[in-house]
Amino acid sequence: MNAKVDHFDPIVFERPGVTLTRSQVDAFGREIDALREEIMADLGEQDARYIRRLVRTQKGMELAGRGLLFLGVLPPAWLAGTALLSVSKILENMEIGHNVMHAQWDWLGDPALDSSTYDWDNTCPAEQWKHSHNYMHHTFTNVVGKDRDVGYGIMRMSEEQRWNPAYLFQPAYNWVLASLFQWGVAFHDLEVERVLKGEKSFAEYRAQRRKIMKKVRKQVGKDYLLFPLLAGPFAPWVLAGNATANLTRNLWSYLIIFCGHFTEHAEMFSEAEIENETRGQWYLRQLLGSSNLEGGPLFHIMSGNLSHQIEHHLFPDMPSNRYKQVAPKVREIAERYGLHYNSGRLSRQFGTVLKRINRLALPSRRKPKNATV
Amino acid sequence: MNVITASNSQSGTPGLIRRLGKALSTPFDPEDYLALFDPLQSAREIRARVIGVQRESDQAVTLTLQPNRLWKGHRAGQHVLLGVEIEGVRHQRCFSLSSAPGGAPTISVKRQGRGGVSDHLVNRCREGDLLTLAEPAGEFVLPDPVPERLLMVTAGSGITPVHSIVKSLLASNFDGKVTWVHFERRYRDLMLSDSLAQLRRDPRLDLRLVLSGDSPRDGDQAGRLDEHWLTDNIADAAARTVFTCGPAGFLDTVMDWHGEHGRAPLFHERFKAAPVVAGEGGRLYFSRTGGQAEAAAGVSLLEAAEQAGLKPKHGCRMGICHTCKCKVSKGRVRDLQSGKSRELNGQEVRICVHAAEGDVELDL
Repeated sequence: MNAKVDHFDPIVFERPGVTLTRSQVDAFGREIDALREEIMADLGEQDARYIRRLVRTQKGMELAGRGLLFLGVLPPAWLAGTALLSVSKILENMEIGHNVMHAQWDWLGDPALDSSTYDWDNTCPAEQWKHSHNYMHHTFTNVVGKDRDVGYGIMRMSEEQRWNPAYLFQPAYNWVLASLFQWGVAFHDLEVERVLKGEKSFAEYRAQRRKIMKKVRKQVGKDYLLFPLLAGPFAPWVLAGNATANLTRNLWSYLIIFCGHFTEHAEMFSEAEIENETRGQWYLRQLLGSSNLEGGPLFHIMSGNLSHQIEHHLFPDMPSNRYKQVAPKVREIAERYGLHYNSGRLSRQFGTVLKRINRLALPSRRKPKNATV
Repeated sequence: MNVITASNSQSGTPGLIRRLGKALSTPFDPEDYLALFDPLQSAREIRARVIGVQRESDQAVTLTLQPNRLWKGHRAGQHVLLGVEIEGVRHQRCFSLSSAPGGAPTISVKRQGRGGVSDHLVNRCREGDLLTLAEPAGEFVLPDPVPERLLMVTAGSGITPVHSIVKSLLASNFDGKVTWVHFERRYRDLMLSDSLAQLRRDPRLDLRLVLSGDSPRDGDQAGRLDEHWLTDNIADAAARTVFTCGPAGFLDTVMDWHGEHGRAPLFHERFKAAPVVAGEGGRLYFSRTGGQAEAAAGVSLLEAAEQAGLKPKHGCRMGICHTCKCKVSKGRVRDLQSGKSRELNGQEVRICVHAAEGDVELDL
C-alpha cells in the first residue's frame, strides 16, 4: 500500500519496506479483531471434543509408555516406551499445558482445563510461567530489554543487545540450553540479572526460588526416583527411558520455540517504538516478530500449534486447534498491507536461527541505535 | 455387597498409598489417569452419573444420580450447584435435591422453556450421562430439635426441597404432625406424584393439593393462595413452624401472611432472585485485565463485566452458589436482593447479585 503524507493521517508505523498511516494501522487492527470475533463466536462442541480427546490420548500414551518401560530390559519395549513417553510429554507441555495456561480453554468451564488451576509436567511452576510468558513475553514480544525471551538473559539474539566476549561461546552453550530447556524455563522468571542489578528484591527472588525447588523435587522425584524404584531390578531402564523422554521433550520444545521469534526475518523492536502503542500496532508487532513453520497436521499438533506462532501471538487465548483455520486469512490480510508473513519449513527456519546465533556471537559492525542490556 | 466392599476399601485407602499415587502422577492426580477407565473418577470435583431418568410429565423429570466418592451426602432441603455440558460448555445451575438423605440423590427438574440447563435436562438427559455437583448448601433445613407442629407451604417446583424434608422426616421416628399444602395449576404439572401418593399413606402427614386450573379429584381442593387462605384452611396455622418454597409472588404472599400472623419461625427458599432494586450505577475498574466499563443502575457487576467482554467465573447467577465471588479492592456496592448498600475494601462479593454505586475496583 502506498502511504500518502497527510497531516491528519500521520505515518505511525515504519519498518524496512513498509510504511503505514494511522488509519491504515487502525483498519488492519479492525480486520484482525474481526477474525478473532468470528472464531471465538464459533467455538463449541467440536473444539471441546478435540481437547478432551487429546488429553485422553496423551494420558493413555503416558500410561502405556511408563508401563512398557517396566519391561525396558527388552530393547523393543524400551524403545517403544521411551517414544510413547516422549510424545506424551511433548503433547502435555505444548498442545495441552501451554495452551490451557493461556486460558484457551477457560470457556469450557471445566476445572481440569482451567488456566487458573492447571499445572504442567514441567519443572517450571505454572504461576511463574504465566507471569514470564503470558504477561511479559506476550505483551512485550520481541521488545529488546523488555521481552526476556529475547535471549533468555544469556544469549544475544538481537543487534540491539550490547556484545560482550561471553557471547563468543553462545553457538556452543546454545546446545546446552536446548538440552536443559525445561530448566531454563523453570529458572527464567527468577530474573537473576534484575536481582543483581538491584531492580528486583532478593526476598522476592528467594520466595520464587522456594516454589521452583518444591516443584523440582516433585518432578525429579517422579521421573528419577519413584518410577525407577517401582521397577525394582529394572530401575536403570526406567531411569534411562524417563531421562531420554525429558531430553527429547527439551530438544523438541527448544527447536519449535527458537523458530518462533529468532528466524532470519523475525523483527526486533525497541522500547521507544512501543510507547503509546495502539491495538493495531500491537498486532503489527506480533505479526512481524513471529514466524511460522509449515508441515502436516501431526506436526502442528506436536508443535503445540506453535507452528502457527503468528496466529498464536495475535490470538494467544484462541483455542490452538483453530489457528490452522485463521492462518490463511491472516496471511491474506498481511499481504494486502504489504507486511511480510514469515513462514517456512522447520529445516529452513531453524537454519536461519543458527545463523543468527552464530552471527551475533561476534560483535556487530554497525553501532546499535540504542543498545540495552 | 460388592458396592459396599468397594466403597469401604476406597474410603479406607491408606494415606501412604494415596501419597504415593499423588507423587507418581504429579502434577496431576491419580484420578486424572483413572478417569481413562472410569469417567466418574476425579480428585477435584464431584462427578455423578445419571442412573435413572423418570419422566414426571412432558415438562419435568426426576434424575437419579450416582456420585463419585467425593460426595458426602446432603441434609434434607439443601440445594446443589449442578453442572452439565451443553455444546461443549459447562453450564451450572442450582437445584434442590428432592431425595431424602442416605440413598442415591435425586433432583427433579421442570422445563423453563428458555433453552438453559433445566430444558437440557428435561429434553436431553439420558441414563449414563455425566454431571458435576458442588457441595450441597443451604439453610432450608429442619432445625434441631424438630418442631412438633410443622406447616409446609409450596407451589410448583417449590415441591422439591420440601419433598426431601418430609420424606426424611417420615423415615425418622418423628412422632409429631406435619401439614403440607401444595399449590399447583393442573395435575399434569405436578412433580413427584408417585412419591407423594406413597407418602400420603403415612398418618403423620396431612397432604393437601390445591389446584387453580383443574377440577379437583378425591379429597383435593380448588383454589389459589391469598392472604387469608392459610388462616381460613389450616387449623392453628399461625402457631406452626412454616417451611415455604415456590415462585417469588407466592413466597411474598406467604411471608406477608406470616409477618402479620405468624407466631413460630418461618423458613423459606427462594429460587429466583428478588426483583432488582435500582442502584445508582457507576464505573468499574478491572484491576487484573486493566479495562474499565460503565455499569448501569441495577445491572449486576457480573453482567456489566460480561458486557465489557470479560468472562468472570460464575455459577447460579442468583446469589446462592458463591462461584462468582470476586474481590472488590474498593468501592460501594448495592446488594440487588436486599437493596442494602455497603462500602467494601478488599472483601469478596458475589458479583452476580451486587451492582456498582459509583466507582468500583474489581479483581477481574
